[in-house]
Amino acid sequence: MPEPLVARSALRAHVAPVVTASVEPGVTLRERSGLTLATVSALGGRDAELADAVRSAFGLELPTTPKRVAAGEAAFVWAGPGKWLATSTGAADFASLPAGVSDQSDGRTVLSVSGPLARETLATLIAVDLHPRAFAAGDVALTHAASIAVHLWRVDDEAAFELAVFRSYAATLWRWLVHAGAARNIDARLDG
Amino acid sequence: MRIACPHCGTRGLDEFAYLGDATVVRPDPSAENAETAFVEYVYLRDNPAGRHRELWSHALGCQSWLVVTRDVRTHAIESVENARDVATARDQGAGQ
Amino acid sequence: MSKPHRLPAGGLVDRGASLAFSFDGKRYAGHPGDTLASALLANGVKLVGRSFKYHRPRGVLTAGFEEPNALVELRSGARREPNTKATVAELFDGLEARSQNRWPSLAFDLLAVNQLASPAFVAGFYYKTFMWPASFWEKLYEPMIRRAAGLGRAAEAADPDSYEKTTAHCDLLVIGGGAGGLAAALAAGRAGARVIIADEDFVLGGRLNAERRSVGDVASADWAAQAAAELASLPEVTVLTRTTVTSVHDGGVYGALERVSDHLAQPLSHQPRQRFWRIVAKRSVLASGALERPIPFGNNDRPGVMLAGAVRTYINRFGVAPGKRAVVYANNDDAAATVADLVAAGCEVAAVVDARGDASALQATAKAAGALLVFGRTVARAYGGRVVEGCEIADARGDTFNVPCDLIAVSGGWSPAIQLTNHLNGRPAWDDRRAAFLPGVTPPGMTVVGSANGDFGLAETFATGARAGAEAAAAEGFSGAGFELPSVEPEAGETYGDGPWRPTIKRGKAFVDFQNDVTVSDVELSAREGFRSVEHLKRYTTLGMATDQGKTSNVVGLALMAEITGKSIPDTGVTMNRPPYTPVAIGALAGAHRHKEFRPTRLPPSHFWAEEQGAVFTETGQWMRAAYFPRRGEADWFETMVREVETVRTKVGVYDASTLGKIDIHGPDAATLLDKVYVNAFASLAVGKARYGLMLREDGVAMDDGTTTRLGDQHFYMTTTTANAGAVMRHLEFAKQWLWPELDVHFASVTDQWAQYAIAGPRSRDVVAALVDPGFDVSNEALPYMGATELTVCGGVKARLFRLSFSGELAYELAVPARYGDAMIRAIVKAGEPFGICPYGAEALAVMRIEKGHAAGPELNGNTTGADLGMGRMMSKKKDFIGRTLAGREGLADPSRPALVGFRPVDRTARLRSGAHFVARGAEPTAANDEGYMTSTAYSPSNGHWIGLGFLARGASRMGEIVRAYDPVRDGDVEVEVVSPVFVDPEGARLRA
Repeated sequence: MPEPLVARSALRAHVAPVVTASVEPGVTLRERSGLTLATVSALGGRDAELADAVRSAFGLELPTTPKRVAAGEAAFVWAGPGKWLATSTGAADFASLPAGVSDQSDGRTVLSVSGPLARETLATLIAVDLHPRAFAAGDVALTHAASIAVHLWRVDDEAAFELAVFRSYAATLWRWLVHAGAARNIDARLDG
Repeated sequence: MRIACPHCGTRGLDEFAYLGDATVVRPDPSAENAETAFVEYVYLRDNPAGRHRELWSHALGCQSWLVVTRDVRTHAIESVENARDVATARDQGAGQ
Repeated sequence: MSKPHRLPAGGLVDRGASLAFSFDGKRYAGHPGDTLASALLANGVKLVGRSFKYHRPRGVLTAGFEEPNALVELRSGARREPNTKATVAELFDGLEARSQNRWPSLAFDLLAVNQLASPAFVAGFYYKTFMWPASFWEKLYEPMIRRAAGLGRAAEAADPDSYEKTTAHCDLLVIGGGAGGLAAALAAGRAGARVIIADEDFVLGGRLNAERRSVGDVASADWAAQAAAELASLPEVTVLTRTTVTSVHDGGVYGALERVSDHLAQPLSHQPRQRFWRIVAKRSVLASGALERPIPFGNNDRPGVMLAGAVRTYINRFGVAPGKRAVVYANNDDAAATVADLVAAGCEVAAVVDARGDASALQATAKAAGALLVFGRTVARAYGGRVVEGCEIADARGDTFNVPCDLIAVSGGWSPAIQLTNHLNGRPAWDDRRAAFLPGVTPPGMTVVGSANGDFGLAETFATGARAGAEAAAAEGFSGAGFELPSVEPEAGETYGDGPWRPTIKRGKAFVDFQNDVTVSDVELSAREGFRSVEHLKRYTTLGMATDQGKTSNVVGLALMAEITGKSIPDTGVTMNRPPYTPVAIGALAGAHRHKEFRPTRLPPSHFWAEEQGAVFTETGQWMRAAYFPRRGEADWFETMVREVETVRTKVGVYDASTLGKIDIHGPDAATLLDKVYVNAFASLAVGKARYGLMLREDGVAMDDGTTTRLGDQHFYMTTTTANAGAVMRHLEFAKQWLWPELDVHFASVTDQWAQYAIAGPRSRDVVAALVDPGFDVSNEALPYMGATELTVCGGVKARLFRLSFSGELAYELAVPARYGDAMIRAIVKAGEPFGICPYGAEALAVMRIEKGHAAGPELNGNTTGADLGMGRMMSKKKDFIGRTLAGREGLADPSRPALVGFRPVDRTARLRSGAHFVARGAEPTAANDEGYMTSTAYSPSNGHWIGLGFLARGASRMGEIVRAYDPVRDGDVEVEVVSPVFVDPEGARLRA
């Protein structure tokens, strides 16, 4: 009988360098691991049915503009017209939603970028305006970080952002963030 | 150039992939002159000096195909529409 | 160390601190706040370089970015940088500068003989002289010219510094931090708008720092400092000093270069040398000021000839007297301030030459200063060997007299710095009264203020700047405190100056373009030879084509040509300016993305394990893939590849196929869409079955291929080639959104969700059986070839198992969620040990696919049709699909087209090469006899000789024929036999075992 399989992050220190800030960090970089993720596509003519299902299962109103709604463990992040990235910090049954659902729990790595210089650091890679006047808490952008496709949202009024990136790109994006953060007193640590 | 994606907001050219002429319509493959019509559809293009309708994909964004109407001399954009809506209206018009 | 020209007081330099620097190895000292030019002038150094073509001695002409003369090399070693303008190079302790274009030394430049041979260097010289014979170019002319000409030496070592690119957004971008820019930024910033103000200088203020005048009740420089301090305190205002806005792009996008560390010996830890900003601004205010023009006269390039405004800058801002005894030569009243400031600085003004005849404010000032006043006359020439020793003044009849001096301050009027208004093709408009080009059509959202718009007065500059700033803020919904206009004394007389551009007396070379050594005579020659339009003038003489892009010379050159041809300036032409406004290093445009970080690297789930195995990697697009897994004792990749292929063919191997594009397809119309994008039918595919599919472009040419598996009635799982994953996704979305918008089908990229391992070889079923959880049956009956099933492995990990084979052996593809990918491959290898498993890489895979005749990138090359690939019969005749109609065109359906077949060398020891062309045996190897080409070749361990795939005319009907594979590039000429493209197990018995 083979041994049970161990889950591993896409990040290892030799490709995703660890930096410990000596004083108060200007920007903090972490992986948000252990998330349940799924892409959810509304099927033709069944938008209302899906919205009802999400409302009853998660207590959330599906956003139809680039917004993220969250309650408890679950959140729905707008991912294009009729599409969402469903996220949960626990085990969530997204597959039974009346929609086209694809598990993405392993397809995306989610990075959290926060701190007073988070916006300045992200601006070296991402061209979207992240000023709070233009990109408030709950706002979402599908864009790219120097050519790497990212799904970005602002978590709260503090400068706290999360980026979902295709897993195979995660190490490169981590390196680029660490490089940009080097002059901005970054603190970047991997789990475990 | 910046394009106002109707879904995502205004973004730089770097997020978009260009395809080409949005005025041509895929011919009916069962029509008698289908081959001639397809040759025109695939190869023959007007090159207007001025207003033009073009297909762009918001490839590094929401993946939506867009119909961008712009002046190719000045790059001034007149409108950006969701291609699927334009196509639906086109097909409904054709069916009537 | 004595600094003979530093004034006892005044200026914005910190006299309490001293900075040591060297120029051509000699040590000097300056102060913080100095530029290299001001520090050299303070030390009495006037000769700072040699000119490009004639190696004439050159000094400091300006005090800014428009400087054409004082170009030096800064720093040494890998950081050596040529063509730095001394007038903007900020002094730092330990700065090393060297003059350029001289040998052996600046004072004794042997190449200055070029000016004796100057007829050989006139306009058009290159076009006329080096025409024949062509072979002389490489061997003689070019090396000779390169030694004699050139602008400095680039560093030979790699640049050790880093660069950063960033994006900023604002309501208002203010370009220029002088009076107009400060007023605009304050007006908008106080109202609460997001403002970015950028200035190329290291302090804000522009000419407020260069003039001796008052704003309100304080000195203009103090007012600028207060304004700068207030801007810095406003939370939504970003002040970018040392930052040049270099370009304007569509949609309110501006490029700007920030010289973060150029004023330091080397960048601070982790800091970039330069940062390139992409600024997205809703509106902009262009407050770029104006550039003073020289007036051509003989030897007007001698060190000691300086623009009159620059003289004031050195006196007032840097506390440096550029000379002790000056002649002021001007055609406008702005130079009156130069006379006054020279006098105030304790310099003697020996003479004032006003080219105009009528009484003027300049003349009044000259009289008050007690200077010799000459009006209605011109300076004929400067004299002096390496520096100015005096000037010769001429009247209209040609009589001349000499005035000894060490400084000639020249003003030919001012040209508004409108360069950025041209970047979106807005043509400037000539204004006769101001004798200047003014902005014509400005870029959308841009307002031009102050002297950049031809409003040269300070009061007007404040007023237009404040108004533009307030309007920009109001348009974005901000209104508030605003900007109260300060009181300023009006300027005396006219700032506008026009000519005389063509010296009436020829005494020595009169320069128009100093940096490219273009003289008045060159412009005259160009006119004589018929190159009269400004575009021809530019290209014939190189006027305006140096790194300064003619900032001081374009208008003068144009006015000269107009005068020579008797036309108006607008009739002669317009000088358009294109980005960048000032040079931008390529490194700054590249930013952080250099070397291995030039583009992202994608790592498949087995990557870290493969590293541990000592795999050698290869890049496929952005993916890093294991090419082969060498073992101790193996000499090279070839030996390893042979072992890996043999292991797969006789035992079992494992390969990471995760890099294939994977797309989840959902929806009631999923099958309908697949039928439209694939040439073959998918609606009929049963759940739990996979099928190979070929996609065409609408023109009938093959686009991509892969397998698609039906996982549910409305759920398919498509794989694409590694390279085309993105393009296929766009293609599918295009079909859905634009071609058939009625279809209810949805795509999600799951490429990264699944780690997918090919387990291939006669023992692969044993390995798979050892991994799946009890209760799952992987027998041939339960999971036949092209079957697919969902199951669990290794104690409950959900997985998908496909009976697919690229290698041609009994094979499976096992997909698990990517987080388990690392553990999965370790488990596969462990489970496979009893069966002799080995991991194999892209090299072995590539060989095995050629052995099986599978088309890949070299065959799907954008020229080949389904029929060419031998898949003609696969193309459904019952349904429409993308590419069907045009694939049936006469030319594409022609049976004589080259079709995919296999090749083996007649001499089995011969090597085959991709790219070889086929010609019939005995035929001449000419293009007319070309019958196709070899696309893929490999040494086949299974056959023991080289094999090839290629496209041969009527290939399928020529089995057994011998043709030549002719490869003149690599001296290849091999006889090959036409065979089936399937070299291993042509019946497909193994993969169905």
